[in-house]
Amino acid sequence: MNTIIEAKNLSKTYGKKATAFQALKDINLKIYKGESVAIVGKSGSGKSTLMHLLALLDTPTKGKVIIGGEDSSTMSNRKLNKLRGNTFGFVFQQFFMNPNDSVLENILLPLKISKIKRSKRKNKAMEALKIVDLASKAKNKATDLSGGQKQRVCIARAIVNNPEIIFADEPTGNLDSSTGDKITDLLFELNRKKGVTLVIVTHDEDLAKLCGRIIRISDGKIISDSKVRKSTMKEAEKRHEKVAATVKARNERSKK
Amino acid sequence: MNFIDLVRTANHNLLRNKTRTFLTILAIFIGSFTIILNTAINAGVNDFIDRQVESIGGDGYIEISPKALYDQMLNMTSGEVQEYEEDAKSIETSYLDDETLKKLESVDGVESLNAYQNLSTDYITSGYTDKKYKITLNLLPDDTIHVDMVAGRQVEANSDSYEIMLTEDYAEKLGFENNDAAVNKKVQLIIPVTLTCMTTEKRQDCQKTITATVTGVAADGVMSMGAGVRVNLALYNHLVDLQYDGLPESQKVAYMATGHIDPTKLDSIRKAFEEEGFTIITIDDEVGMIRTFFDAILIVFNIFGIIALLAAAIGIVNTLFMSVQERTREIGLMKAMGMSSSKIFASFSLEAILLGFWGSIFGIAVSVLIGSIANRIASETFLASFPTFSLTKFEPATMISITLIIMLIAFIAGTLPARRASKKDPIDALRYE
Repeated sequence: MNTIIEAKNLSKTYGKKATAFQALKDINLKIYKGESVAIVGKSGSGKSTLMHLLALLDTPTKGKVIIGGEDSSTMSNRKLNKLRGNTFGFVFQQFFMNPNDSVLENILLPLKISKIKRSKRKNKAMEALKIVDLASKAKNKATDLSGGQKQRVCIARAIVNNPEIIFADEPTGNLDSSTGDKITDLLFELNRKKGVTLVIVTHDEDLAKLCGRIIRISDGKIISDSKVRKSTMKEAEKRHEKVAATVKARNERSKK
Repeated sequence: MNFIDLVRTANHNLLRNKTRTFLTILAIFIGSFTIILNTAINAGVNDFIDRQVESIGGDGYIEISPKALYDQMLNMTSGEVQEYEEDAKSIETSYLDDETLKKLESVDGVESLNAYQNLSTDYITSGYTDKKYKITLNLLPDDTIHVDMVAGRQVEANSDSYEIMLTEDYAEKLGFENNDAAVNKKVQLIIPVTLTCMTTEKRQDCQKTITATVTGVAADGVMSMGAGVRVNLALYNHLVDLQYDGLPESQKVAYMATGHIDPTKLDSIRKAFEEEGFTIITIDDEVGMIRTFFDAILIVFNIFGIIALLAAAIGIVNTLFMSVQERTREIGLMKAMGMSSSKIFASFSLEAILLGFWGSIFGIAVSVLIGSIANRIASETFLASFPTFSLTKFEPATMISITLIIMLIAFIAGTLPARRASKKDPIDALRYE
C-alpha cells in the first residue's frame, strides 16, 4: 500500500517557556492511500492539532510531515500551496462560507485560487454540486441554506478540485443526527467510489466506528491505533453499504 | 488566482460593504477633486500667461531703457528719496547711438537689438466718431511675436503700408460696431512736430495727421509690457520722421530698444548692459509677479488637497483594517485552499488601489463638470474682457498622472492592512470567532 502522509516524531508546543503547553508529543504515524482514518479524542487532546499538522496548515515544533515521500519542511511555498489547493480538501465544523455570495460562487473559490481556466470552472463546480445533490441551489445565497445543506456545499467545495485526501474536522459536529448521517454517507461514498483518503477528526464514537482505522489520542499521544488490514477496501465497502442502509432506514423512519 | 480574478474579487469585496466603500471613496474624492480642479486652474492661468508671454515675443524678448529713466520711473511709483550719485549717467548720456548699439549687440548672448526713437502721439480718431482719444503707440518690432487676436490679423512688421492694430477698448470707443467691423477700416493718428511746436502758439498748428489701416483687434492682456495699440515698422518710422523733422541729428538718437537674447545668459547680459547705463526688462520681470501670486494661492489650495488626501489615506487604512478583521476566517480558508500570501497581499492592495482609482475618477468627473460651468460663468462675467482666458484647463496627461499618484498613495496606505492579512496564520484565522 502507498503511504500518502507520514508523521515522524511530530511535536507541537504552544506558548513559550513558563506558559509552554505541549499539544503533541512525539507522534509517529503513516496514512495510506484510500484509507478512512478517524482521529478520536477528547477536546484538548491534540487531535485537531494533529490534523492541522498533517494537512500542512500548521508547522510542527519538532519532527517532520512527509507527503508523497517528500519532507514538507523543505518544500517551496509554491509547492505547499499547490498541495493545499489540489491534493487536499477541507471540511470544517464551522462552514466558513462567504454568506453573501451564492452557493456557486463559494464553490468557485478554490478553482479560482488554483487557477483553473474560467471556461472550465462552472462545469466543475456544477459537477461537485450534483454529487452533493444541491445543483438546484447553485444560485441561492449561502445564508439561505439549512445547516446540512451548508455542510454539503462545503463538501462540494472540498471535492471540486478532485483532491486525494479530505480532512474533515468534526464534519457532523454542528448537525443533528439525521443530517449528520447524510454528510457521513457522502464522505464515505467519496472514499469508496473515488478512492479519496479520508481523515476525520471527531469525538463522536459512532462516526469513528464507520472508519477503517481509528487512532485514539489523549494528552498529545497516540494511545491506540487499530492498524489497517490488507482487505481494508473490501471491508470498507461492506461497512459503507451498512452505513447507506442505516441512513436509508432512518430516512424512511423519519418520513413516517 | 490570476490577475483578472484578483481584480474581480477585490471589486466584489468592495461592493460587499457599499456604505463603507462609498465613504472611503468620498474622502479620496474630496482630496482628488481639490487637487485636480486646482491643477486645472493653474493650467488655465499659466496657459493664459504663456500666451501673453508669446505675444510679447517669447522667453528671449527684452526691452531696454536707460537705467536713469527706469530708476526715475521706479522712484515715481515708490516715492522713495534717493541719494545723488556723482558718477551716475543721466538719461541724456545713455542713449543708443550707433557705437553704443554695436557694443551692446556684441555682448555674448544678445541675438538682436532694435533701437527706436521715442514717439509722442497726441490722439487717435476715426471717421466713425467725433471724439478724440489719447493714445500711446507701440512698435511691433518683428514677426516672431504672436499676439492673441480677437479679430483680423496682427500688423505685418515689415509691410510697406501703414498698419495699426487696436485693442478692444479702442475699437469700441472709435465707433466700430464690433471688433470685426474695425478690420480694414482707416483711423487717423495725430502727432506733434517737435520743432514747429516750439515756435507756434496753438497746438493745432504744429500737428500732423497720418491715416493708417486697422489690420485687426488684439485681445486684452494683463501685462503692460508690449501691450496696447501697436503699429508696424513702416508707420512707426514714418511718424518718427515727421515728429523729428528739422531737428539736428543729435536730437534724433534713440533711448529705447527691444531685442532678443539667449535667456540662459540673462545675468551676464544684464550686468554688461548696466555698465553702459541701460536696464533690461524681461518677461519674467513682468510676468514673475503674476505667476508668483497665482502660484502662492494654488500652493495653499494644493496643501488643502494633500491634507485631504492624507486623511483619505488614513481612511483607506482604517477601512481595510476593518475588512481584514471581518474577513479573517475567509483569509484563513483561502490560505488553507492554497492561496499564497503574496496573492492575499495583492488582493487587499488591489482593493486599496481600486478605492484610489474610483476616488480620483469621480474627482476628475466632478471637477471637469464644475470647471466647465465655472469657465462659462467666468467668461460671461469677470473674465469677459479676456476672451482667450479660460479659467480651467484640463490636460489629459495631468489627469492621468494625478490618478496614478493617488492610486499609488492608496496602494501605500493599503500595504499596512494587506500585510496584516497576508501574515495571517491559516489556523489562527480559522479559529478566529
